[in-house]
Amino acid sequence: MATLRRRFAEPLTLWFALLIGLIGIGSIGGLRTLLHGLQVTGLNDRVPWGLWITHDLSAIALGAGAFIFSAAVYLFRIKRLEPMARPAVLVGFIGYTSAMLALLVDIGRPDRFWHPLVYWNVHSVLWEVTLCVVLYSAVLAMEVLPVVIENRFFDRWPDLRKAGHQLHRATPILAVVGMGLSLLHQSSLGATYGVLSGRAIWFKPSLPVMFILSAVAGGVGLTLWLTIITGKLRHVRLIPHEVQLEVSRFVGYLTLAYLYIKLWDWAATSYYSHAPGTADALSRLQATTPYTLTFWWWEIVLGLIVPAVILLYRPLRRNDRALIAGLGLLVFGVIVNRWNTTLSGLIAPPDWSPGVLGGVVTAAYSPSWVEVAVTAGIIGYAWLAFTLAVRYLRIYENPSPERG
Amino acid sequence: MAKKRSSSPPILSRRDVLKIAGTTGTAVVFTELVTSGPLSSEAVRGIGAQTHPSNQAGEPHQWRMLIDLAKCIGCNYCVWACQAVNDVPDETMRWNVGFPDRTENGIDFYMTRPCMHCQEAPCVKVCPVGATWVREDGLVAMDYDRCIGCRYCEVACPYDARRFNWRTPESENALEPTWGEAEVERRPRGVVEKCTFCVHRIDRGLDQGLTPGVDREATPACVVACPVGARVFGDALDPESPVAKEIAEHTSFRLREDFGTEPKVHYVQPERKGA
Repeated sequence: MATLRRRFAEPLTLWFALLIGLIGIGSIGGLRTLLHGLQVTGLNDRVPWGLWITHDLSAIALGAGAFIFSAAVYLFRIKRLEPMARPAVLVGFIGYTSAMLALLVDIGRPDRFWHPLVYWNVHSVLWEVTLCVVLYSAVLAMEVLPVVIENRFFDRWPDLRKAGHQLHRATPILAVVGMGLSLLHQSSLGATYGVLSGRAIWFKPSLPVMFILSAVAGGVGLTLWLTIITGKLRHVRLIPHEVQLEVSRFVGYLTLAYLYIKLWDWAATSYYSHAPGTADALSRLQATTPYTLTFWWWEIVLGLIVPAVILLYRPLRRNDRALIAGLGLLVFGVIVNRWNTTLSGLIAPPDWSPGVLGGVVTAAYSPSWVEVAVTAGIIGYAWLAFTLAVRYLRIYENPSPERG
Repeated sequence: MAKKRSSSPPILSRRDVLKIAGTTGTAVVFTELVTSGPLSSEAVRGIGAQTHPSNQAGEPHQWRMLIDLAKCIGCNYCVWACQAVNDVPDETMRWNVGFPDRTENGIDFYMTRPCMHCQEAPCVKVCPVGATWVREDGLVAMDYDRCIGCRYCEVACPYDARRFNWRTPESENALEPTWGEAEVERRPRGVVEKCTFCVHRIDRGLDQGLTPGVDREATPACVVACPVGARVFGDALDPESPVAKEIAEHTSFRLREDFGTEPKVHYVQPERKGA
């Protein structure tokens, strides 16, 4: 009895209980949505995209580490990065599956989820994104499967094991395909907003560029963040310290590049000029929403400048705690960016009436509990999948003692 | 036996067979895609052109509408007739919206707005499944059976013309039969809808030899309902059509032409009343 009680008080057991609880709440929300339709959300015709789209965009962006490390290790043969490849692919797979889960509840007709595969509109950037995401998820599944089949559980099916090995030999091909698909859709997701001529705040060619840069920085950052945290919990170093420092520096430079383009994006449209639609939309956002707080403080200062300093200043980079904080803030910054991007264009729609009274409508949106529940449930799934994989699969191959 | 087989290599190794099969398969699929499949020139030119035979009408037409804001008295008849004929019971779902507005120099007017039926429709470009398209006659049509409800078209439309079915519309349509009888089926939950320029009236009318814009049965319900003739409809390719005449007579403008959408609804400026 005493051992049983102790077991239940174990942190890992509590962690699993929390995640299963989240998944339970999420399932209730998902079921409600399927039964009653999207009226259970806080969305409306002015703001038809909200929390779930933010979730999709963030999960896909934060899965970008997979294609970067697959390409680095299996294509460019950078041997020292090998310990990062498996965790990156795992995080990518979890990210893409959770994005697809969120999409499935978000579309009005989940029963027609297969339509984009059959009815093509090659002019639609969203069609391209959908096809790439579906194909790339298949690639990720093929990259993850061999690792799963390695597990002792599959000892009883030697043929399956052999198939797994065969699949593993195709890794370089999968890496090429994966890189192509990712370079396409990670930027097209920005173009989803960037091509809409009616929304001045979105309509700019910098959006696809900013999306892919932030995705790579955030995706690589998240993989490293999870690796360091998992190592801390086990009191080991899961990857060599030099690799950790090298990858952190790489993420730091990417963050700086992203910051640079973001700075010019703002300077060119808002500081050195008065871009007609943009200026109006920004002033309306500032009047009705905490945009200054979420953009300047959360996204730029906390989400980009602080991480860039931590990742590029040597003494801070060498401090594991500071590094965890820096990478965590970077991931937070990417998520806040996807939220800000989605909502900013919708909250301040264009004015189309020739009059001055009725045309300018500033919309509003706050997610309903069902939306929050589903998002929490999918995050619960993501953490559960990661925890189980790290515990039962050989994701990290050669841990070394913490001070070694 | 097994040893002997491996010692004398076959003419075609398994690898060769796979290569040939793969190349042939790819070639077949590629040819199929480019000639008759979704990458073919017809498919790229007009999505739905083959799947929607009603597009291939005999004579070419270009449907346009003109709304004279100087004539409009703000009675809302056009809004209600639209709701009755197209069976839109919910006020928040209105395809044709109206609201009081004022010009910069203080002239009060009533603004109404159907779908603009843009020639370069942003909603058409973005639809991931090709559920909406610009017909030969310029109408922006919608296939409710193909729509997946992603709502990207709503996000893309700068005129707020699209409406999503957030719930199953079950309520009685209070505007029926006072303002007209429902002429089209109600849309299911989870798909997007919008003003069609009463395409069912136009297509049926043409089949019966009627002239849309002149004959009431072939003209959009909002145009027919207007008691002061503020809305005019017709074929821009026919110089004798009421809409072509009005466009020639007045200085008109279209909403937010700077978006590059090429809308097909023209507006005439409001005037100071009782001057």
